[in-house]
Amino acid sequence: MKHLRPQEHWGWIIAIYLYLAGMGAGSYIIGAIINWFINPSRVVLIRGLALDPAKAALLWGPILVAIGTPFLILDLGIKKRFLYACLNPRTSWVARGFLILSIFIVFGLVLFAKSVLPFGWLHAESDLWYIPEVIAIAFAFGTAIYTGILLKATKSIPLWNTYLLPLLFLVSALSTGSMAIILSTLGTGLFSHDAGALEVLISGEQILVVIEGIVLYLYLSRRYRVSEQGKDSVRLLLFGKKKLIFWGGIVLLGFIFPFVLETIAAFSHGNVVLIFVSGLTLLCGGFFLRLGVLSAGIKEQIPMQRWTEFQYDLKGTK
Amino acid sequence: MEERVLVVDQQKCTGCRQCELVCSVYHTGSSNPSRSRIKVVKWEHAGIYLPLICNHCEKAYCLEVCPTKACHREPELNNRVVIDKKLCIGCKTCIMACPFSHPFFDIKEQVTVKCDYCDGDPQCVAFCYAKAVFFTDADKIQMSKKREAANKFLESLKQIR
Repeated sequence: MKHLRPQEHWGWIIAIYLYLAGMGAGSYIIGAIINWFINPSRVVLIRGLALDPAKAALLWGPILVAIGTPFLILDLGIKKRFLYACLNPRTSWVARGFLILSIFIVFGLVLFAKSVLPFGWLHAESDLWYIPEVIAIAFAFGTAIYTGILLKATKSIPLWNTYLLPLLFLVSALSTGSMAIILSTLGTGLFSHDAGALEVLISGEQILVVIEGIVLYLYLSRRYRVSEQGKDSVRLLLFGKKKLIFWGGIVLLGFIFPFVLETIAAFSHGNVVLIFVSGLTLLCGGFFLRLGVLSAGIKEQIPMQRWTEFQYDLKGTK
Repeated sequence: MEERVLVVDQQKCTGCRQCELVCSVYHTGSSNPSRSRIKVVKWEHAGIYLPLICNHCEKAYCLEVCPTKACHREPELNNRVVIDKKLCIGCKTCIMACPFSHPFFDIKEQVTVKCDYCDGDPQCVAFCYAKAVFFTDADKIQMSKKREAANKFLESLKQIR
């Protein structure tokens, strides 16, 4: 196991950034679709202001993404220069991500404010609002996929260099995002006039968990076969130092607990406590998925080093 | 102007790490090998040492992934790829992208640093008494590599005969 030395430059801070960006974007996609087709509304008066918490529960995704972005800044060497990060969108995925997330946050927050706050002069019922809504959903998709593409762009780490990673992070974003919506509406009665919506959401959530499990299996099995370092990364995650993150954090908290608890909840007439606990474990699982993938990334061996080891038959002796 | 490149002859390296010291002194003012732009990988038990340097690649990944254009090419100075410290935000993306593990994160300055040929007079070359690192014309080294490959081909042909 001497050769299993994963990268240490991107750690838990970047994992939180990727997680919140993914969950916020996924939550917005699911929330906006529910808002289009079911359009739940419950206006309450708070200090004379007519607010709509049902819309807030559906469309709060951009706030999560906005909370996540400071974590990227926190990881920078010189934090005050963070605005420079958008100067090279032609070739850099960090710069492209900066722009994608910024556009999503701006559009998402404007739509959130329009839906929740009583700004009559905004003409909330106008069909023209569909244009920014479609743009926001497109950029929410972009944000969810970008979290995987950022890692995929690192070609020298075989564990990350695959299109299955953006797909895995997209499915995880939708799964954690829909759970964030379920949790934010749970017990508040916001969907009480349409209890079917919550049931559909929970069933959809279970399907997403199953799809995520399948994609994770495909991802790891393909990476195991791709190269020596890909194999080392998967071994590190499954049987090495990171096995607690994988088996405890990803498999148990992210897949088994939520699936079992949600199934039990379905048979106990939607037990709120069970759904709440399963939601929390699933959200933790989403974070550990990012942390596991990040922390198990092993770089390809430097060509000259590999050549020297080959030439002098030094493999495994360093 | 002729383009010059840094070349390593691994068989001559004695592992003294003088190059790391002079590099850190030249660039940071301190004799701290951990802040050097050249790293010597060692197989101590086998007595084999390999100085790792930046290749200033034609298709440089560090340059592509840099979000701020801090990492850029200077064709007029031996076509070198350098990092502008005033633009670098320390995101470490270039470190992740480089297949040769070259750019390094300088903990003290909180930016990424890499070999810049010491502005045309590489200190690692000047102080390497074993002449394991040298700064030579790119065309010349191409020619010597071709000659080496041709000799190997000739030897293998002789063995077949």
